[in-house]
Amino acid sequence: MSAYAPSPGTKSPRRRRDASRRNYPLGYVIPALAVMLVFFIAPTVLNFFYAFTNWSSFHSNIDFAGLSNFSSLFQNGTLVADLRTTLIYAILVAIFQNLFGLALAVLLERDTAVNRILRAAFFVPVVMSALAVGYIFQALLKPEGALNGIIGTLVGHPVSIAWLGSTTWTLLVVTLIHAWKWVGLSMLIYLAGLKMINVDLLEAARIDGAGRWASFWRIRFPLLAPAVTFNVATALLGSLNSFDIVQATTEGGPGQSTELLNVFIFRTFGQGLFAQATTMSLVLFFTIAILAFPVIWLLRRRERVL
Amino acid sequence: MKKKFWAVGALTAATLLASLTACASPGTSSSSSTGASEWPSQTASLKGVTLTLWAAQTTTAEAKTVISGFEKATGATVKVVTIPDPYEQNVETKIATGAKPDLAFWQPTASELATINPGQNLLSLNDAPWLSTMTPGINDVGGTYDGTRYAALVTSPSLMGVYYNKQVFAHAGITTTPANWDEMIADAKQIKAKTGIAPFYEAGHDQWPTQYWVQVQLADASKNGLWTDMNSRKQTFSDSTILGAITNYDNLIKQGLFNSNIKTATFVQQGQAMLAGQTAMVVQVNAYLQELQASADTAELNEKVGWFPISPNGNTATSIPDQTNAVVAFNTGNAKQEDAAREFLEYWMGKGYASFISSQGTVSVESSVPNPSGVPDALVAIQKAVPGSAGSMQSLAVANPDLYINLADMIQGTKTPQQVASTTQQQFDQLANAQGVKGF
Repeated sequence: MSAYAPSPGTKSPRRRRDASRRNYPLGYVIPALAVMLVFFIAPTVLNFFYAFTNWSSFHSNIDFAGLSNFSSLFQNGTLVADLRTTLIYAILVAIFQNLFGLALAVLLERDTAVNRILRAAFFVPVVMSALAVGYIFQALLKPEGALNGIIGTLVGHPVSIAWLGSTTWTLLVVTLIHAWKWVGLSMLIYLAGLKMINVDLLEAARIDGAGRWASFWRIRFPLLAPAVTFNVATALLGSLNSFDIVQATTEGGPGQSTELLNVFIFRTFGQGLFAQATTMSLVLFFTIAILAFPVIWLLRRRERVL
Repeated sequence: MKKKFWAVGALTAATLLASLTACASPGTSSSSSTGASEWPSQTASLKGVTLTLWAAQTTTAEAKTVISGFEKATGATVKVVTIPDPYEQNVETKIATGAKPDLAFWQPTASELATINPGQNLLSLNDAPWLSTMTPGINDVGGTYDGTRYAALVTSPSLMGVYYNKQVFAHAGITTTPANWDEMIADAKQIKAKTGIAPFYEAGHDQWPTQYWVQVQLADASKNGLWTDMNSRKQTFSDSTILGAITNYDNLIKQGLFNSNIKTATFVQQGQAMLAGQTAMVVQVNAYLQELQASADTAELNEKVGWFPISPNGNTATSIPDQTNAVVAFNTGNAKQEDAAREFLEYWMGKGYASFISSQGTVSVESSVPNPSGVPDALVAIQKAVPGSAGSMQSLAVANPDLYINLADMIQGTKTPQQVASTTQQQFDQLANAQGVKGF
């Protein structure tokens, strides 16, 4: 830029031309901007606005209600309990999705015909409807479902484990289902990361005497840092917003042990308490925002080795 | 360039403002067509008029016969739009964003009518011509809010009561149905001792049936003004009446009087267990009978399944009319459409009524129209218990909190009866407060 620095007080014709050329597509942005405005920015702004009102299905007037929605929500233990569940859910999903995604990427790295088919197979759940996935697993994991049927055949007597019936372990089962659905995407990104690594580097390591284990942990894994950043951030922050899989498998049960904040928001909205539901989604919005910055900052710092 | 930038900025601001104002006042454009006193003739010509009827998945075919009869008689077209489940929630959302049908199936309880702001959105049916022909007692069960009638009760309102397996009762040597709560519990213990069968069956996984066990225990209190007290916060869920009922339910479960798979059992299994004689009694509503009818014919049902109402001191049933029982007409601001909607309801409850109940295989709510043949005995018993039944929480309380979810949590072991009561009360307070009820 310094090359173009004009003398003070004058505007070079060249710069003006550049500027107009740069700004020329501004008009083209309008359609996209309008769509974003109506479907993204306006709802977000309204989300802030309605959280401070008494909007509900019971009356048609909407009045300012101050901070009463916030104070009543935080007095109610459910919000805090559900936030905790949501955080545990997101952390578990991030761990499982990345662990399995990385393992699959390493296992299926070589371009053989079998690997190509397997990669496609593992990617299929990603494009499936999350609700469909949820309902299928719900059917499989019922006490009289297919999984117990298979186990029953193997052990020789009927089994009726309620896989989705434990107030302690169901959360874990649901996060595994979530991870299963999205693991294909993580795998794909790790695969792309692995493919980007220069072969010469690995060859040099081999010549220096590094075994497969050492060359993976010392060279390939550190070089995967950008892929790790993307995968961990999207899995963690994306699953904070999760709703569909839990709604389809457990509806937040048993005993509200898998009730994510979004499930609670859905329930509150269904009661006609629109302002309260909006307030909760604002809380969720801030939770995600507060988490996103340090998480991404930490992950980006890991990339500095590159 | 600057100008262009400002143009974009102005457009941004304008759109934002427009969307803000558009969303800020849903449904304020009301016309005052409430309480129109002239009712059209049931079959006046309506050529070229199209009425929209919103229905849930369970009611999407309910009005089929009525619609075809009405279309033939008047030349109107009635379009049924199926709103996906959860029906009530989706309808509320649609109405909040300004969409309105001409008619809709709707739960005719005060708490559920409140959620669609009836004074603003619905047509008053106060002077509907069919009201005088209804079986005495039916009109008291529901359809009104704040003293105005908004819903036409098209089928016999759903009641909470006890479905029992006649063969299991006979096997345990029980010949008469219990006359009060204590007798029912005594019978249950006898059944368990003599047959080893679980006397009661609850669908803990599906959550929603759990509330009926508590509500039937409140029938007598309900008649003595429990819900009036609740509505002014003179009583709460944590006071002895309701907390006592919750604790009682918990104790019965702990005593092993329920199915051993209570935590995972579903509504469908609850039905299968009754027909297979794997349980003696189920506390349920009319939806349960429909579930039984789906897998057994009337002869089998009459042979196996009976019904009796129960309350602590006697045999008072508790009414909980549901979405399949009633239809509301909307204040759309278009007089022609509103008249046509009224005419449709009038036809339904008038000339079309006999063929409607016979197509539904259900009992009549009008004195002049007899029950069709082939209706199960249990349903006739339910019909007889409607007059004199007590109102449920949904019918009489200003709000309908998620009592059933909290009770299901108790069954799963994550809430104590006290916590069920306090959580439910918290939600009740919140809902009452949102409606601006005094004392909350």
